[in-house]
Parts: sequence; structure tokens; C-alpha cells
Amino acid sequence: MTVLGISRGHATPAAAEHWVYDLVSPAGRGGVVACTHLVRAPHPHVAVSIEGLAGAPAEAGDPALAEAAELAAAAHTARTGGRAVLYPGVELLVGTLTVADLLAASAIERVTVIGGPPAAPDSPVRTRDFVRPQWMDGRLTLVTTPVAGGGIAPFEVPNPTPCCADHA
Amino acid sequence: MGHDHHHHHHPHPHPHEIDADLPPALDTSVPDSELSPSDVSRRGFLRGAGLLGAGAAAGMTGVFSVPDVAHAQGPAVQAGKLQWLAGDHHIHTQYSSDAMYRVVDQARHARAYGLDWMVITDHGSATHAKIGVDKVRPDILAARDDLRELLIFQGLEWNIPAAEHGTVFVHPGKNELAVLKEFENAYDGAVTNTTDPGAANEALAVAGIKWLGEAVRRRRIDGALFLANHPARRGVDSPHEIRAWRDADPQVAVGMEGAPGHQAAGIPKPLGPGGGRGAYDNSPSAASFPGYPLESYRTWGGFDWMTSTVGGLWDSLLAEGKPWWISANSDSHTVWLESAVRGPGDFATDGRYGDPVHGTSLNTGASDFWPGYYSRTHVGATTATYRAVMDAIRDGRVWVDHGGLIKSLDVRAREAGNKGRNSDTPLGGVLTVRRGTAVEVTIEIDLADQPNWAQFVPALARVDVIAGAVTGPVSDPDAFTTPRTRVVKSFEVSAHTGRVSFTHNFGRVDEPFYLRVRGTDGNRGQAGLMGAAVDPFGPAMDLSGDADPWQDLWFYANPIWVLPTT
Repeated sequence: MTVLGISRGHATPAAAEHWVYDLVSPAGRGGVVACTHLVRAPHPHVAVSIEGLAGAPAEAGDPALAEAAELAAAAHTARTGGRAVLYPGVELLVGTLTVADLLAASAIERVTVIGGPPAAPDSPVRTRDFVRPQWMDGRLTLVTTPVAGGGIAPFEVPNPTPCCADHA
Repeated sequence: MGHDHHHHHHPHPHPHEIDADLPPALDTSVPDSELSPSDVSRRGFLRGAGLLGAGAAAGMTGVFSVPDVAHAQGPAVQAGKLQWLAGDHHIHTQYSSDAMYRVVDQARHARAYGLDWMVITDHGSATHAKIGVDKVRPDILAARDDLRELLIFQGLEWNIPAAEHGTVFVHPGKNELAVLKEFENAYDGAVTNTTDPGAANEALAVAGIKWLGEAVRRRRIDGALFLANHPARRGVDSPHEIRAWRDADPQVAVGMEGAPGHQAAGIPKPLGPGGGRGAYDNSPSAASFPGYPLESYRTWGGFDWMTSTVGGLWDSLLAEGKPWWISANSDSHTVWLESAVRGPGDFATDGRYGDPVHGTSLNTGASDFWPGYYSRTHVGATTATYRAVMDAIRDGRVWVDHGGLIKSLDVRAREAGNKGRNSDTPLGGVLTVRRGTAVEVTIEIDLADQPNWAQFVPALARVDVIAGAVTGPVSDPDAFTTPRTRVVKSFEVSAHTGRVSFTHNFGRVDEPFYLRVRGTDGNRGQAGLMGAAVDPFGPAMDLSGDADPWQDLWFYANPIWVLPTT
């Protein structure tokens, strides 16, 4: 399936993610996999790739960032890079569910653990209602870590500490 | 060699003071043409490795220039005559937009918790550059008067252009404030809008470090130091930037935080913030160095991944022969379970918050400890003076601990069996021996004999000796691993009181190498990120919201180099 690359020069994954959510209406999300990509050139920013979109996107990318958009599309196509913000089943990944249920309910193909032993099928995943798997080695992979209270949670937290809290 | 050297202050080593008995390969006053072929080859390697005064030869200075090798072994730094002064180079006050305490609040707590020196490092910003840097000055002078036994440096938390934050501080003196102010206005990333990545901003960071060095050379100030703070937190300090900072002026850019502050951030809810220890809970951004693994965004046993990974980024610098030292600080902004609240006032207008006022509850969301309460940077100073503290940091006579894990640490390298203590080489030093000489390191530790500030006496469980070959400059400035560093010896500690002493003999040495030491309470661990063959029992990753810092204590010492000569 064709993967569309678009870059509008978003500064952060969160900003790019909001733009994707606006671009792809809830009714049009069936089968869509949309990812954010960290791109270094021509300046560091976040590009987007979308697979499975019905019709042309309502908004175009920045022509000056066409190369970044191509890189994003290529990484997504090759399943080597891209952080998925829309993917089949994402809306079901809320609260706590087991690894087996998470794999069954969504397009995520693999769960890995940093800082702890490998996850078992019945390991509880505390989703924090924020699950952003990545294309790694051909598979949509959720990287997790052990967390307080037992079980695992996605490595990426929904509200990381800002560079300087209360920066004036 | 070098025993009769006078102590001379950086950065003015005098090559003509080199002793006549220096090995020819090391003596840069002997031209290559007068060396034997093997000495020529040896000198070439040492120079390439940064171990011979690359600097001296080029008319510049370097920590490894020959006079400094002598300096490291001279009477002024005899290992047995050092006084180890505890300190913290990363502390915020009401002149930081995200902090709240008075200078004297931080200073009084620092002193009460046992610190001998500290650095006030409010954030660089347009407001700080315009107002705060001046206004904090009388507060620092008053605190120096109030607390005569505490050395209080004025510094800055520099927004490094294109990168993270760093501590910059200078020796007290008549130009202290002027230099700090000029530096902040010209080189702070927030003031100059240069925090984004890119070559131009990276160059500004290098220029800033060189500017500080120039201010010292022109004798505007007696010393300036820069250490990178929380270097792996957001992945934005790339390996080539760290190398470029260091190379910009090794007398100024001397190291990084081995452990970040904010060590209470992982204390579980509801009594703690329930976040990532060290406030390390980020994921890669567009500004991050793409090569860093996700593991780098978390702390390991409370320490930054660059330091905690045996064979990782820190070791890759040491294996090049680049002096680069580590520290451990509080980064104190707001203190966990403290009851005071930020005072009134408009920061943008006043350049500060009003003095803190009494609150009626405890701040369970705060992630910091008072200076000295948990994290300490111990420096081996010749006297209890500002200059001696700066010299010790610049020379790497530094070890760090968490939670008062041990009372004292004395690491010395020497020719095996040579108990003539005048020849002992302390932390940060270079032991030169004839090739084929057997070398040993001794580690003497006074175990903790008093409760720490969590009211228990920590128990040291294990001490590890880590060593790595010095293999010279890397071809890729973004390298962050080195293949020949590993844990070479572990000592289990069975004693609970008194002094313990360990010796590791490296055997006859033929090539340059470095050694460093760490220790742990043994509560948490896992095989290191480079594999169990490199580090069988390394620190474990700190778990988000489940990291009681008092139950996972480590100490780390800076390296000693061993340099065989023909």
C-alpha cells in the first residue's frame, strides 16, 4: 500500500501528532497507519507518513521539506522507522491490558522491554492511554519498561518533564 | 621524576621547567630528530593519544602536557596531603524562574549537610542577564560573610548553544561579575536564541568556552570552569559536541555530571513525584542525536547513561586519552517534602521571586534534595580555598557519591610494591612508569560510620575496578562506545565498620591505559549494556515512579592514567 510522506516542519512529535489527528477524521481512520519521524535536514523537525489514507490529504506538505517527507515515507515503507500515532486498534489500548490482549487488539506486532526481563503474554501493560509503537526491524514494536506497581508501561510517557519546568 | 616541582597554576605551565630526568619520549624539549626510532614511534603514539603535550608541542596548553604530568606527581598534590572537600556545582535560587529559595537558604542547608563548597547556578535567560545576575551578587557576598567556612562560587547554568545546560563558574575576584555577565549576554543559548541544533549554534558554544579561557589568560579572572549538566537527559548533547567543548579549552571544559540532580523525582506516589529518577523521562526529539539508544534517556542506579555504561560514552573519551571528569549535584530548585512555597512577585519584572513564605503542606511533587543531603562531589584540594577547589576539579581529583555510601575514598596508582608514598598517583593523575613495570592500584575506603540524611548507615557491598586501554583519537567524533574497557576486578565488602583496603595488581604494563573505580550498596543491578563480559553487575535502569534513591546507592571515582615509557 502506498505510503504518503508529508512534512510541514512541526517542531515536536506532539505538534505533528495533533496535525495528523486533524487531518485524518475519526471516520477515515480505518486501516490507516500514520507515523511521526524525527528528521535532521534541512533542519531538525518532525515529518509525517500516512499509509492507507482514502483519497488525497486535505493539506499538502511544505515543498521545501519534500526531501524530509520522502525520507519519512521510505522509512515507513521499509518498516525501519516511524512512531505510529494512528494504527488499527489504537483506540482500544486504554487502561491496563495484557501483552497478549494488546497484540490481539491492535496492529502492534511485538512488545520489548528495556530495563527488565522480557514480557510474558500475561504481563500487564499499563497503557496510560498513550501507546506509540515504532517500526523497528520490519515490525510495529512497542518498547516498554517495568513500572511502579508491577507490570510494564510504554517507554514514552505522555507528559515528560519539560526542559525547565515553569520556564519564564 | 618531577618531585621537586613547584606547584604552578593552570593554565600557565612552563615547558622549560621540565625535569632533565624526564624520559626522552615525554620530554618535548627533545626534538624528534634526537630521539631513538622507538622513542619517535612512542612519542607519536602518545601525542596522537593526547597523552603527550600535544598542547605543549603546539605552543598551547593541555592537561596532559608534560608539565602537568609532573604537576600531578609533584609535592603540591601528594596524595596523602589532600583534603577532600565535598561540594555541589549545580544549585538554583529565587533568581531562577523555576526555583524559589534565597541564596542563604541553599547555603545554610549546604553547610548543615556537610558541604565545603557550592556554586550558585541560576538559569541563563534574558531576564537573568538583565536583572538577576546583578541582583544575586550582594546575596552571594552576604552569604560568604555569613558562612565563612563555606566557599560559595557565583556561576551560571548556561544554556549551551545547540545543546543542554551546563555549569559555568569563575574564581571570585573584581571581574567575577563582569565576566559572568558578558559571557551570559554573548553566549547563553536562551539570551541569544541559539538553543536549536546546528553547526552555527554549536560553534557559538565552542566560542563561549574559548572566550572564558581567554578571560583567564588575560588575567581578568583567576579561573573558569564548565561542566555539562544532565548530559543525556534529552539526547541533545551529541558526542561530537562534547568532544568539541573539551577540545575548545581543556582548562575550562573539564567534565559533566555523572549523576544528575532531581534524585527524588522517582520516589513513588503519593508521597513522591512518581516520575523518572533525575527527571529523566524523555523520549527522542528532533533535536536529539539520532544515534543515542532509548536506554540513554533514563538513569541507571541514579547515574547518567554516559557515565553508568562501562564501555560507553565517558569511557570512549577516557580511552582517547581525553581528561573528562564527572560530578554529582543536587540541581536543587524545590525540595521534596519541604513546606515553604515560592514568594510573591513578578519574575519577569523583578528578575527574582520574593523570598519564600511558609506554606501549610508538604511538597510531595518536588523532586530535589538540599545541597549535600544526597549527592556530593568530593574534590582533593591542597588547601580549603576557591583556587584549590577549582584546581582539583580541573585536575580530576574528584569522586562522587550518593546517600553517604562511604565516608572517604583514597585511590592511588603506583609501581607495584613501592610503598614510597611520594610516588603515589591520585585520582585524575598520570602515573608514568618504565614499560614492563608492574603497576597496582590501592583503594582505601573509610566505611560510613554515621547515619546519612535518611538516618541509616549505608553498607557498601562491592567495589569494582574498571580499566581500559588508551587507544588514541577516534576517527568518528560521534563515537560513544569503546571496545577495550571492562570491569577487571570486583571486591566484595564484608566489613561493616572501619577502613577497608583493596589492591589490584595490573601486572607488567606495556601500553597506556586508565583505571577507574566504582562501588555500590549492591541492592540493584544487572549486566551492563555492553554485556556481562564487560560489566557483569552494572547498575539497573531506574524505574519510573518506583525509584527510592536511598535504596540504590553508588559511588564513582574519576580515572587515573598509567603511561608506560621506554
